[in-house]
Amino acid sequence: MTGYRNNLLFLLFGIGFGFLLSRAGATSPDLISGLLLFDDLRLLWVIASAVAVGALLSALAWRFGWRARNTGKPISIRHKPFKRGLIVGAVLFGIGWAVTGVCPGTALAMLGEGKWFAAWVGAGIVLGAGLGSALNRRLTGSSDGG
Amino acid sequence: MVSVPEWMNGEITAMLDTLTSLLSSLQSPLWPAALVGIMIGLLAFAQRWTTDQPLSCSTGFAQIAGLFARGGRQADWRLVFLVGIVLGGVLAGLTDGEPGWQGTPAEFGAFYTALVPDSSLGSAAWWLAGGLLIGLGARLAGGCTSGHTIAGVAMFAPASLTASAIFFAVAVITAQLAAWLLGV
Repeated sequence: MTGYRNNLLFLLFGIGFGFLLSRAGATSPDLISGLLLFDDLRLLWVIASAVAVGALLSALAWRFGWRARNTGKPISIRHKPFKRGLIVGAVLFGIGWAVTGVCPGTALAMLGEGKWFAAWVGAGIVLGAGLGSALNRRLTGSSDGG
Repeated sequence: MVSVPEWMNGEITAMLDTLTSLLSSLQSPLWPAALVGIMIGLLAFAQRWTTDQPLSCSTGFAQIAGLFARGGRQADWRLVFLVGIVLGGVLAGLTDGEPGWQGTPAEFGAFYTALVPDSSLGSAAWWLAGGLLIGLGARLAGGCTSGHTIAGVAMFAPASLTASAIFFAVAVITAQLAAWLLGV
């Protein structure tokens, strides 16, 4: 696959993902607080059904050796590593998610929808991600990985 | 005109009603939760099938940071994917038949209206600081709600199950505690 076609494909996947995040209601701070305060579990059903479909297809792909279109090899099952900072990082992420009602994917979809406050969150995520990558390099002494 | 037995009229009307309500719900800003969840699951798997790359968001943010810093991460398809998400948001906003976002208390909901500072400087600082925690936390954990929860849990990865459980537990505790302190 050429770089150009590959990039176009990823652009389309991104468009689809951003569109669906919006239609899911994941870009609504009100619905995020509904999820975290157990007032409205709509987003829980979105996440649960997305994970269930993904798990089913993943299991089928593994069982029957479905091949990826670009590599011709079985679709890889990549398990992210247990990073040294995983627990601390996940705690920080949980706090940041709760206090803003935004996560990295939805920040961008919100920006597209014209929810301008997400630009501040997005700028914070860029800063934090840069800092986190630098920290990861220190912790592992090598690349940032996953 | 196809003639149908008398007794089927009720069924056909009911089916048309269901179809009409489904179609009209597709034009609204919110689609049925299970439907859109299934579509997200299918889309994420289609990406793995065609490109052999699982869903990823926070790594792309580290790549954006890398554009500003020497020795930062090299940009790859993840950056293109992030641009796509913004365009997907534009598309969704233009086609939902609703007026644009005004940032009213009703849109933010009671919780975030009470939690986020009122002043424009205060709220900007709040969002920036919250974003910093999100970005830093996601990189230390090696993923976010996309890479760990949607992609990683679907692949039964132990690190992703652990990270996702902590994301949700801490977010729920933080929000519930804040709501209790704020009295909302």
